[in-house]
Amino acid sequence: MSTDYAMRWMAICLWASVIASGYVASSLADEPLSYDRDIRPILSENCFACHGFDEKSREAGLRLDTRSGAIDDGGVIEPGSPQSSLLVERITTSDADALMPPPDSGKELSDEQKEQLRRWIEQGAEYEKHWAFAPPARPEIPLIEQVAHPIDRFVQSRLEKQGLTPSPLAAPETLIRRLSLDLIGLPPSPQEVSAFKQAAEADFRLAYDVLVEHLLASSHFGERWGRWWLDQARYADSHGYSIDGEREIWKYRDWVIAALNADKGFDQFTIEQLAGDLLPNATVEQKIATGFHRNTQINMEGGVDPEQFRMDSIFDRVATTGNVWLGLSIGCAQCHDHKFDPISQEEYYRLFAFLNNQREPSIKLYPVTEAPVDSREGAVSGGSRIGTEYIDEREMESRKQAVEHALQAVITPFASALAKWEEQLDKIGRDALSQETQAALKIVAEKRDLREQSQLLLGSGLLVANGSGNAEAELRRLLDERTRLLSEMARGVSTMVLEELAERRPTHILIKGDFTRPDAQVTPGTPAVLHPLPASDDLPTRLELAQWLVDDANPLTARVIANRIWQQLFGRGIVETENDFGFQGSIPTHPALLDWLALELRDDSWSLKELLRKIVTSHTYMQRSHVRADLAGVDPNNLLLGRQNRLRLDAEIIRDVALVASGLFSAKVGGPPVYPPIPEGVMSQGQFKHPWKTSAGENRYRRALYTFAYRVTPPPSLNVFDAPDGLSSCTRRIRSNTPLQALTLLNDPAFVEFAEELEKRIEREGLEQAFVYCTARKPTETELRLLEQLDALNQARALLNLDETITRE
Amino acid sequence: MNDPRLNRRNELRDATRRHFFSQCTLGLGSIALASLIAERGLGGEADAKTINPLAPKATHFPAKVKNVIFLFMAGGPSQLETFDYKPKLNELSGQPIPESFVAGKRFAFMSSSHRNDLLGVRPAFKQYGKNGTWVSDLLPHTAEIVDDISIVKICKTDLFNHAPAKLFMNTGSGLFGRPSLGAWVTYGIGSECDNLPGFVVLQSGPRGPRGGAMHWTSGMLPTTYQGVPLRNQGDPILNLSTPKNISSVQQKQLVDTVRELNLQRLVETGDQEIATRINAYEMAYRMQTSAPELMDTSGETAGTLSNYGISNPNEASYARNCLLARRLVERGVRFVQLYHTNWDHHGGPTENLETHLPAICKEIDQASAALIKDLDQRGLLEETLVIWGGEFGRTPMGEVRESTGRNHHIDAFTMWFAGGGVQRGAVFGETDEFGFGPVDRSAHVRDIHATILHQLGLDHERLKVRFQGLDVRLTGVEEAHVLHDILA
Repeated sequence: MSTDYAMRWMAICLWASVIASGYVASSLADEPLSYDRDIRPILSENCFACHGFDEKSREAGLRLDTRSGAIDDGGVIEPGSPQSSLLVERITTSDADALMPPPDSGKELSDEQKEQLRRWIEQGAEYEKHWAFAPPARPEIPLIEQVAHPIDRFVQSRLEKQGLTPSPLAAPETLIRRLSLDLIGLPPSPQEVSAFKQAAEADFRLAYDVLVEHLLASSHFGERWGRWWLDQARYADSHGYSIDGEREIWKYRDWVIAALNADKGFDQFTIEQLAGDLLPNATVEQKIATGFHRNTQINMEGGVDPEQFRMDSIFDRVATTGNVWLGLSIGCAQCHDHKFDPISQEEYYRLFAFLNNQREPSIKLYPVTEAPVDSREGAVSGGSRIGTEYIDEREMESRKQAVEHALQAVITPFASALAKWEEQLDKIGRDALSQETQAALKIVAEKRDLREQSQLLLGSGLLVANGSGNAEAELRRLLDERTRLLSEMARGVSTMVLEELAERRPTHILIKGDFTRPDAQVTPGTPAVLHPLPASDDLPTRLELAQWLVDDANPLTARVIANRIWQQLFGRGIVETENDFGFQGSIPTHPALLDWLALELRDDSWSLKELLRKIVTSHTYMQRSHVRADLAGVDPNNLLLGRQNRLRLDAEIIRDVALVASGLFSAKVGGPPVYPPIPEGVMSQGQFKHPWKTSAGENRYRRALYTFAYRVTPPPSLNVFDAPDGLSSCTRRIRSNTPLQALTLLNDPAFVEFAEELEKRIEREGLEQAFVYCTARKPTETELRLLEQLDALNQARALLNLDETITRE
Repeated sequence: MNDPRLNRRNELRDATRRHFFSQCTLGLGSIALASLIAERGLGGEADAKTINPLAPKATHFPAKVKNVIFLFMAGGPSQLETFDYKPKLNELSGQPIPESFVAGKRFAFMSSSHRNDLLGVRPAFKQYGKNGTWVSDLLPHTAEIVDDISIVKICKTDLFNHAPAKLFMNTGSGLFGRPSLGAWVTYGIGSECDNLPGFVVLQSGPRGPRGGAMHWTSGMLPTTYQGVPLRNQGDPILNLSTPKNISSVQQKQLVDTVRELNLQRLVETGDQEIATRINAYEMAYRMQTSAPELMDTSGETAGTLSNYGISNPNEASYARNCLLARRLVERGVRFVQLYHTNWDHHGGPTENLETHLPAICKEIDQASAALIKDLDQRGLLEETLVIWGGEFGRTPMGEVRESTGRNHHIDAFTMWFAGGGVQRGAVFGETDEFGFGPVDRSAHVRDIHATILHQLGLDHERLKVRFQGLDVRLTGVEEAHVLHDILA
């Protein structure tokens, strides 16, 4: 680590949460400015587009993103001497023609920003390496009296500097609901709530830890966190574009659920999804995992150029890989060098080259009828496996061939005897034969398949005449086996995968990202600003790319993933721009904490469950979410985490909560997508009216995760609550709050059905208990009185419409 | 103080206060409630945006209009059979277009049905209005309003397949998932309507537009700004009706109770989002009344209905949608988009220039013209921008099958504009002798977008949202120019 970096790091840790809004910045007027914290954001936002990394759009040959560019080559900064720095002159001049940024750019520096630039030059105009491109370092954990949890020590030391204290522990009812919704995406039952309260009274810490373990081990864990990952994987069940036909790729969705339930290390999780097919002796499951990058759209419209849309899918794969793992907007370099981050267009196409080399087939999978008992089964409470084991087409084919071989071996010795028998057969003899045998006889000898040949052999009685009773039994057994295999082969599940081409497809830089304008050819490679790929004589493949992403030397992946998990639990990441850790991104509010989390994740075998365990057992996570006047004044956006945040539930969980509260919930995990009722007319919103065969029975009440998702006509009750559409990777959901959401909860037939079931529950178990089903807490006197003015059905509807019911507090 | 945002904020704050003092009679006393709220820092500083994301917002500069009605002719109407008069095509019909026009160009269905022979124009053209504007016989009613509209003959787009081209016209990008024009507009200026959505979509014709709901998506903007399709059957808005077994009195009680319960929680937690939700429920409840009232055209005079050519007001049609569009802007809805299919006349048995083009022209002609006149009479045209056009035009070369048609064409096609700030009776741009390309300049889709935003007081370079590290704008990263030539 350079001294530069270390100094910057100390500065950034000290003043961690000073963000662009600068709400505490005024108190720091005398402090040395940090390039990384104070200056780069100003330059990046206002100057780099014309004076940055992108050579082609660089104006006047001047670059301000490097010290040598600004001082030695450009000569616009005189360190220590703002009055003789051209830069200061140009940003403060009253001559509109000379003013920077130019008024017609729509960009304008505030007086405060100009002053900061001036002071930074006065202080020597030191540049620093961007924090996110330097590897995370083990931070010192601040000491806070009587606070043991490292997360709390990081957070509270920061609060302390502002003279703030954390909020008290949330109520037990709030905690169990918060934890259940966050870990498994389902609310607790009243029984679970009261059991937890009771246990918590005896020994809170123990009760809480037991609850955490119980939830982490639940098979619903993989559904909740699977959805988190499927957003990023842009998963959906249709092809997108205008035709938007159905596709079969739910085995990939189930793979994600199972992998998360099994707590597969995030490194392996990454490698299998990006390059499972390239692993030595790749298993069927590893091939299924490569569905990750098959979740791109496919255009089936008439008249289109397939190559154009193949290219579009690879653009999407490059952008998604960059966003999801590196937290970088690599996609920006598709048409030109990145305007802000040090990624050249050539580097973009070198990444592209890794992903430009596949066939995109579907593989067929067949359930193993006699699944071998897996020793892992039952090890985890609730079971972590989905459905049966599968084998692929090749294995299935070889099983079929083995059976057919054996059949042939029985038949061949009788070939000539059989031909002779057939020749001598007269009409009477023929009529006496069974229907199947007669049917087989009608087929020309050369065209008979194995079944028909066997049938003839059986019908001829030659086996019996030959005294081969055993052979007859064997023949019948083999025939049955063959029939069984064939029928299994007919009902296999198909799933979309990647398969590497033996011969590389050449990749060219595309001028302006236009596939009809290829420029120089490039080989696969990674951006120079990040750690290098291991040296090798061969051109690297997708497998090397995947390994590079989770390499210990990668400064980004662990931070990006830890940040995104944090975001799920607090509503906002430590880095708010969860998919942009580059120059344009916001800087971390708690940089040392972010590094600590990233290194814990990496050093704990990339276990996501372990990281979640650490976060949810912190006081920071467990504190109340109520707004506090003293915090609101200093930290209105709760960046310092003096309290938890109230978060509107994700679209799917809103349905799941109503399903559980009403008692209709089906706990079944995995399997093909289902078709719960949707309002009439929804499917005619697209170009084609796709059929929607409403599921019956249990499948009507499955978790929303399993609802068939058309990209173009998504299920309205999910769409209205901001479920992503699968058109591009979604690393953070919007949480809107709209009248159409109100109409959905009030009037959607599905919610009316839930209300009718909840009404029965009110009649059986009472209003108070129904309230607990929805919110995990008992109603207040006032709340009860308000509700009691309604009849039972409308009480139920009111409960499902409460802001609290669709919110994690 | 004339900042509408501030006025709105004060209004909301007052409304909230009024609400607390008048209606919160249960539970806590109203004064205690108000003071609790103040104590939790929930007082007058609440930003209107957190209460109502659709609250009117200040524009970048004074606006010429506040409403947009976009009459989207889905499929790509032929400019050559409607507005772009090219007698040369009849003269040279059947002969190949000179190679210089088509060398290096890409077209849809390149490998199969693309032809290079020019196709003559069947409909006759006449000159209308004070400037002698050419309009074909297929659009007699539109011909009557040429002095009220600006015709742009040199529109240009980048994409030649339907779905991407429609997306391009609606979102400025051929890729799925970008915010649509209507979403940008409601995001940019908000809405004055407190009982209907800010962006409404109406559809007619045999099928939905290719690409479907992507054309009115909010993309990376919050779903608040998404277009809401008014449906032709059943509830005009999804889930609008109170459930069958619930009376309107019960529904009102329910909504009131939910509001009181949410208020309790707002006081307990201090979370502003609950205030937003209370607001959303109130608007939803109002929509339950206002949307059916909007759809009920029984109050319109027989004269109005016949001007639009509506024979049965209860039957879904383009004409009825035009009338609804007027009713929507009357009620303060900011962006109304009509889609009418199918203009894709390739020459096949169900989509050709002989039968189907005249038929669809008849379907849209009278009502489009009536809409302009009706808006004008009511003084609404001055505050509304009306746009007519499709995603691209058609080639001068024919597709000759059993009957005749034309392929998709992106280099020059016709749209028309009318309303506040738009010149009345102008024709902008000339095309070459075949109508293949512009003589000099083009009006690119980006320019059209910049112009629409400009009329609404929005600067296309400043209207943006940060997404995946990029500033996303309707007009993208390339230059766009406001079409000042059609502006008064």
